[in-house]
Amino acid sequence: MHLRPRLPRAMTAAGFLLAALLNLAPAANAPNVPNVPNVPNTPSVKPSVVQPAAAPASAAAQATEAPITGAGQRIYERTRGRLLQVRTLLKTQDSQSSVGSGFLVDGGPAGGQLLVTNYHVVSQFALQPTRYRLVYATVDGSQGALELLAFDVLHDVALLRPAQADAFAGRGAVELRPANDPLPRGARIYSLGNPLDVGFAVAEGSYNGPAERSFLPTLFFGGSLSAGMSGGPALDEQGRLIGVNVAARRDGEQVSFLVPAEFVRALIARGHVARPITTAAWPAITQQLLQHEAALTEGFIAQPWRSAGHPTYRIPVPQETWMRCWGRGSPQATRGMQFERSDCEMDSRIFVSGPLLTGYITVRHEAYDGSRLGLLRFAQRYAGSFGNEVVGNDDRLRTAAQCVERTVAAKTLGNAADKNGGPARAEPLPLRAVVCLRAYKKLEGLHDLMVLVATLDGKVSGVQGRLDALGVSLPSAQRLAQHYLDGFGWTTSPQTPKSAAAAPASSASR
Amino acid sequence: MARVLDVHAWPVSLGRALSNDLVIDDPHVAALHATLHLDGQGALQLTVGNTVNGLQLGDAALAAGQSAAVPAGGATLQLGALRLRLRLPAEVLAPERPWPLHRMASWAAVGVAAIALAVLSVGDRWVGLDPGADLSAWMPLLLGLPATIAAWAGVWALASKLFQHRFDFAGHLRIMIPWLLAVSVADALIEPLAATLGWPWLWRLSPLVQAFLALMMLRAQLLHVLPHSRRAVTAAAAAAGLAGLALNVTLTYRQTDRISRPPYMSSLPFPGLVLSGTEASTALVQDLVPLAARLARRVEKAKADEATDGSDASED
Repeated sequence: MHLRPRLPRAMTAAGFLLAALLNLAPAANAPNVPNVPNVPNTPSVKPSVVQPAAAPASAAAQATEAPITGAGQRIYERTRGRLLQVRTLLKTQDSQSSVGSGFLVDGGPAGGQLLVTNYHVVSQFALQPTRYRLVYATVDGSQGALELLAFDVLHDVALLRPAQADAFAGRGAVELRPANDPLPRGARIYSLGNPLDVGFAVAEGSYNGPAERSFLPTLFFGGSLSAGMSGGPALDEQGRLIGVNVAARRDGEQVSFLVPAEFVRALIARGHVARPITTAAWPAITQQLLQHEAALTEGFIAQPWRSAGHPTYRIPVPQETWMRCWGRGSPQATRGMQFERSDCEMDSRIFVSGPLLTGYITVRHEAYDGSRLGLLRFAQRYAGSFGNEVVGNDDRLRTAAQCVERTVAAKTLGNAADKNGGPARAEPLPLRAVVCLRAYKKLEGLHDLMVLVATLDGKVSGVQGRLDALGVSLPSAQRLAQHYLDGFGWTTSPQTPKSAAAAPASSASR
Repeated sequence: MARVLDVHAWPVSLGRALSNDLVIDDPHVAALHATLHLDGQGALQLTVGNTVNGLQLGDAALAAGQSAAVPAGGATLQLGALRLRLRLPAEVLAPERPWPLHRMASWAAVGVAAIALAVLSVGDRWVGLDPGADLSAWMPLLLGLPATIAAWAGVWALASKLFQHRFDFAGHLRIMIPWLLAVSVADALIEPLAATLGWPWLWRLSPLVQAFLALMMLRAQLLHVLPHSRRAVTAAAAAAGLAGLALNVTLTYRQTDRISRPPYMSSLPFPGLVLSGTEASTALVQDLVPLAARLARRVEKAKADEATDGSDASED
């Protein structure tokens, strides 16, 4: 729903480049020569961005020798025995398919010593246990096989244990910082891992509290994380776990993310006595995603739409509680179509497998003004903009999108409009609405929802909107589609857009 | 027609010997192979001479020495490798076939169509350009369209030259322009009309209608080149159309699970003009239920396909 070339959306796109990145997954050969990291082969990693990032990380590792960073040195010395590298190998050969980090935790008397890493580090194994196997490598070079006990796909943590029961004997475990003892913002924390398979390293940074506008709680770590450090621990000065390295923004400096320790605690409690996973984990992932989508849909619909500030139309714009909206307009000087667009996206996306990120919502709209174009030219561009939406073809993980379409009447706001003194209109706003679904082949019951809307009343102006909800059940898809469609209408009282926007949305949830 | 023998008097003898009225230089033909003569009642008879191979009168095979009456309307004879058609005064003539050229639009009508086509093309380009666009933006249309039409007509005129020995550039132009106009009109009208009426099925037919019109143009041009092969040309055009349709539908279905490529009607009604009326949005939301059921069947099929592949290698 945009005019010709889509301009690069500077920051939004980079949002979840991240989680996949910290999981070092070279495409071709095994990087046994550490000073030649084969990062250029790494899928979805921008080499030019990652390679410089590798340098400070290994510099940090060397800096632990220096007396100034005594805390880092102390923490590394204390934790090195509990720090591991987690490798995913093809069952039939020894070349590593992807590499991450991990650390030992105490699974209690029943669980023994367990290993925690990110779900995305072991996702290949979780989805294809017949094709891959998991092994660990310790700082001192010992290796062994691992078994996957449980995972939390939403928060991206996984719990493993060594195939040989006493493999980690005498190594101790990383202690979790108590939940009732929050860390002050700005506190020094130390992230450990094996960046780019170069070698185990300590990256020092600051704790910046929870990342804002994230639906799934995530900690903002002011330090550098590189691919390969995924699943490593981030520790406070006493060496207690604050979070698990998970992601980094590649479009900024030292903007990295951690999974809060509370989810590690919950996963250990849930999974320490579980039986190892030996079949593809799609059903468990589906179950976790269904819980997530129900909570997300509920939360999303409970929030009233914001006003877009349009003089004629009520346009649904989501609250920025978990979303980030970017606005953009056409250059003033343009002789063609004038437009303003708003793109709202969630930062929280759930990594299921390399090509599949799901569990998020995006909402956008474009308000068009064709007064400089005239009727015919406006009509051509307006329809063209409605026509160039992509809804998706059949691929390995999802079916092709199928759509239904109707010309619908936007919801009217009832008597409230007249009382507010706004211009009461007899005719409801006509909308062309298309609703498309794409079903997940492996995650049964989940769909991608796409709702496209275009206003049809204007001769030289109009608004087109699109809502995408990825990984939702049919009932949620119906509720979200209805909620979004109900967000369109006439503005009732231009002078108080707030009340106009709030009224419909709260009454929309069925 | 290799040879014609005008018959002014019966009998007429046919054979290899030089004494015959019609000399047939074929080793499979006897010296005096057959004679056509009038019998006592004045009816034409065919008598086969001393031949090994005999001959064929219409569907009947005649051996040496046999005689048969020749139908008054004429007949075909087969002697050795030679086919003869015997035309008689009582022959019932097939109706005159129209020469394709005579059914072409008149030059005046073609002129009007050409102007309409130019107006449509210029209008389409005008709509596509922002106000105050540079003149150079018109060049592709002003030069490209006439050049393309001329090149197309030229290629067909070469085909005419090959088969008909005349470089009929003007004739092809006369055929093309009305059809091109029809394609342009369909292109300009059907989709907006369908959107305004809220008829997605009509919208989905639009490319089909245009393809059909283009195919009809090709057929007309091919007929102009091969006027005697009317049936073959029509059959070829129909076969090409059906094959193209089948290929297109198959490829589209493989990629999209639909038989029509666009997932939804992507035209919009003419601004401010919604003739279709509006419905409640709840109806649309309710449409998702059967849609999801359809997708679920598709997922089942994908699962069954994967089971027969016998692998979980859907990821890497």
